[in-house]
Amino acid sequence: MSGEILLSVDDVSLSFGGVRAIADVSFDIRKGEVRAIIGPNGAGKTSMLNVVNGFYHPQKGEITYRGRTRARMKPHEAAEQGIARTFQNVALFKGMTTLDNIMTGRSLRMKRNIFWQALRHGPALDEEIKHRRVCEEIIDFLQIEHIRKTPVGALPYGLQKRVELGRALAMEPELLLLDEPMAGMNLEEKEDMSRFIVEANRLRGATIALIEHDMGVVMDLSDRVVVLEYGRKIADGVPDMVKSDQKVIDAYLGAGR
Amino acid sequence: MFYREAGQYKTTYAADMAIFPIRQDRYGLALILLIAFVAIPAFGNQFLINTMMIPFLILSLAAIGLNLLTGYTGLLSLGTGAFMGVGAYACYKLETFFPQVNILVWIVVSGFVSALVGVAFGLPSLRIKGFYLAVATLAAQFFLEWCFARVPWLVNYNDSGAIEVPSETLFGLSVTGPTATPVTRYLVVLTIVAAMAWIASNIVHGRIGRMWMAVRDMDIAAELIGIRLLRAKLLAFAVSSFYVGVAGAMMVFLWLGAAEAEAFNIDLSFQILFMIIIGGLGSIVGAFFGATIIHLLPIALRALPAMVGLSIDAARIDQLTFMITGILIIVFLIAEPHGLARLWQTAKQKLRVWPFPY
Repeated sequence: MSGEILLSVDDVSLSFGGVRAIADVSFDIRKGEVRAIIGPNGAGKTSMLNVVNGFYHPQKGEITYRGRTRARMKPHEAAEQGIARTFQNVALFKGMTTLDNIMTGRSLRMKRNIFWQALRHGPALDEEIKHRRVCEEIIDFLQIEHIRKTPVGALPYGLQKRVELGRALAMEPELLLLDEPMAGMNLEEKEDMSRFIVEANRLRGATIALIEHDMGVVMDLSDRVVVLEYGRKIADGVPDMVKSDQKVIDAYLGAGR
Repeated sequence: MFYREAGQYKTTYAADMAIFPIRQDRYGLALILLIAFVAIPAFGNQFLINTMMIPFLILSLAAIGLNLLTGYTGLLSLGTGAFMGVGAYACYKLETFFPQVNILVWIVVSGFVSALVGVAFGLPSLRIKGFYLAVATLAAQFFLEWCFARVPWLVNYNDSGAIEVPSETLFGLSVTGPTATPVTRYLVVLTIVAAMAWIASNIVHGRIGRMWMAVRDMDIAAELIGIRLLRAKLLAFAVSSFYVGVAGAMMVFLWLGAAEAEAFNIDLSFQILFMIIIGGLGSIVGAFFGATIIHLLPIALRALPAMVGLSIDAARIDQLTFMITGILIIVFLIAEPHGLARLWQTAKQKLRVWPFPY
């Protein structure tokens, strides 16, 4: 599990006006691991993901991804470098079908220009079919064949979360950022989602950074856990170590403050 | 009963991804094309072709263009009339500079001129959205309209201030100007509109269409997938303005024969916008439905009293037509806020399983 370091965050600080969302946080994500980011509400977890994929630009600190330290980066550049993401509140393309949503995830890998697209024959159609095949594999994997042609706006929440994971997987990401993939799910849906995450990690080789509030899920799935509170890192390590850390227990139970 | 897809198995992805995957739809389309290309030119009178079909097709094309921008990419534009004007004036200038070149070439090239202007006025779309973008395109509408009226170079220092279409031939057949027969002009318009509708439908079903819809539905997520917002939006402006520009050039060269700046005023923009709202945002066939309601329905209503033998004076018929059209639009929108295209979809879905509810 202890592969080379894929992403490292060094001394990153981010504030909005006077509000400090992240203060001097450093951690790293190794290739092939499932890395959980946990913490109470407002701890800066989602802000951290937003920094990693270029939505926010930190005032201080550095981010090194695949050995390259970067200054400012735009979200589409993050996508080009293989960082995919799902959102806390589902951010699907509501007017499009499940299949189209997942196919959109292939956009970066489709190269035919507008003139071929206009004809929809020959190379453009071949390309479309090639990527359709990949998307159908993902649809099989996530067991959403029956809703392939349903507009996603009409789907129940649990399935929407699954389609969103499918769209992220269609990008064949090297680093997959999951923001509360199990929020609002029942036990069965959580078990399904956990299985998908594990398989995405083991079989599809995606390194995963996961924000989740369900401690059972976090402790089972993740290789290492980083704990944030009020924008600061208070613990970092394997699940067992984090679980017994006094500061973490205090943060979650509100004791000792 | 007739609209069943039972037994039509799709064994390849290509068959499943076809734009008309159901056999009956393909037959229906073939029938419509047959009527349009053969029956109407053969049996249609001057009124049907010149007053109904040619404007219907041209307005449909403009509506397809606006639908690519507003319906598919979610960028509201009120400058359609002006962009049609850009196409018309560009075509006029090119035609008078190089009269020896085929007019059809210039109609297509004027679409590219319109696309360039569209991209220029589309640049603010990265920063502003929704109603604010609509106001920015409104500025384009007024600015361009002012240019058409006040820049004499655009009308070749013509005293009348209007552009007039010279007679042009294609393969020895008169296509534009007073000598062209309505049937010839109709067939030219129909061919261009059919080809461009086919292309638009190809584009929206492929990568670019998905990219536009992604920008429309959730721009943040689209950006994360690697879609460059500015590029996607400008491409939408370019393709949309191309369609609208070609429609504008055809409007003057193949329908009106001459036009002043007022022909491309804000009324035209609104007319096209209403077409796509009533017809259905984000639908190619919806553009044709919308043009039917906005253009053909009033003509039919006007002709109705005479046909059933009622003698109502002309002014009153005009008033009644306005009122009835208005009421019908409201009724349609209450019945299906997503437009006639959605109504059509629902009807087809019902027909598939008829007589059972599902």
